[in-house]
Amino acid sequence: MTYAPTVETERLILRPNREADFEPFAAFCASDRARLRGGVKNRAEAWRQFAAEIGHWYLSGFGFWAVEEKASGAYCGQVGLWYPEGWAQAEIGWMMVDGFEGKGYAFEAAIRARRYAYETLGWTVAASCISEGNDRSIRLAERMGATFDRRFPRDGLPDHLVYIHPGPEALQ
Amino acid sequence: MTAPMLETARLVLRKPDERDLPFWMPFVMSDRAAFVRSQEPTEANGWRALAGIIGHWTLRGYGTLAFALKSKPDVTLGMTGPWNPHGWPEAELGWTLWSADNEGKGYVREAAEAARAWAYRDLGWQTAVSYIDPRNTRSIRLAERLGAVPDWDAATPHGEQCVVFRHPSKEALQ
Repeated sequence: MTYAPTVETERLILRPNREADFEPFAAFCASDRARLRGGVKNRAEAWRQFAAEIGHWYLSGFGFWAVEEKASGAYCGQVGLWYPEGWAQAEIGWMMVDGFEGKGYAFEAAIRARRYAYETLGWTVAASCISEGNDRSIRLAERMGATFDRRFPRDGLPDHLVYIHPGPEALQ
Repeated sequence: MTAPMLETARLVLRKPDERDLPFWMPFVMSDRAAFVRSQEPTEANGWRALAGIIGHWTLRGYGTLAFALKSKPDVTLGMTGPWNPHGWPEAELGWTLWSADNEGKGYVREAAEAARAWAYRDLGWQTAVSYIDPRNTRSIRLAERLGAVPDWDAATPHGEQCVVFRHPSKEALQ
């Protein structure tokens, strides 16, 4: 599956999804943590989400990467650029599965994704759309220098809090 | 796998992509899609559904095909072909026709026969089913014209709100 480019950071590889990634992805989607990230999904719903995230690359030219730990080859979660129809704004998103939080991986991968957005895709602005109550994610956005901009209501899901990242000039 | 470009007398069939969006979106939001969509008819869900159709190709190596007239290849009329997301009891042959203006011309039958032949010839299918809502009378008529018959013993992905039509086998069509 080579629908997306592969990029690296010091400790991580950001690469296209592999079939084996579906199991840890589906386990996250079924867990309570998914409540604040798109909603809890059964396996069939998770598969369709997994497929749609791949299709996002074809329709938009960017999307989520699977994040792999260089040292172990383990799937850690996903980080990427996301702007499907109906979304508040083009965003940098992240999700770490159980066991891979607290290592700074989401931060490291999200910084790389932001650089890809600005340098490779030419974005002039990037947001992160975070479900209200996901304080861990908000702390990560703030660590990246993003600031709260506005609230974006969603049908049947918690409101998104839209954080805006420093622009490409500000980061130079 | 390289996506096929199938041809019939009047139609071309290809892997779906961003060119289909302007034709897909009005369809998926309309009542015509009531029997096939699994979520509320919003633009957000419609867009993701097409993304999922494309991702199905990546994950399975095959998927449903968009079809258009040879004389108007830039106007997508509908989709037909293999559909096998996680949780489906077996691989399905599906179809959608996106505008009522194109009904009654035999386009879907022509395209679905080509897609079925492709599944039997190149994907190694030995059998094929179509999962149809019992209220979807037009689709049931098409399944019958394609030679499919109800298989009441087969598992369904949607409980009772679904009739399984089983197509003639590969051998029977030869």
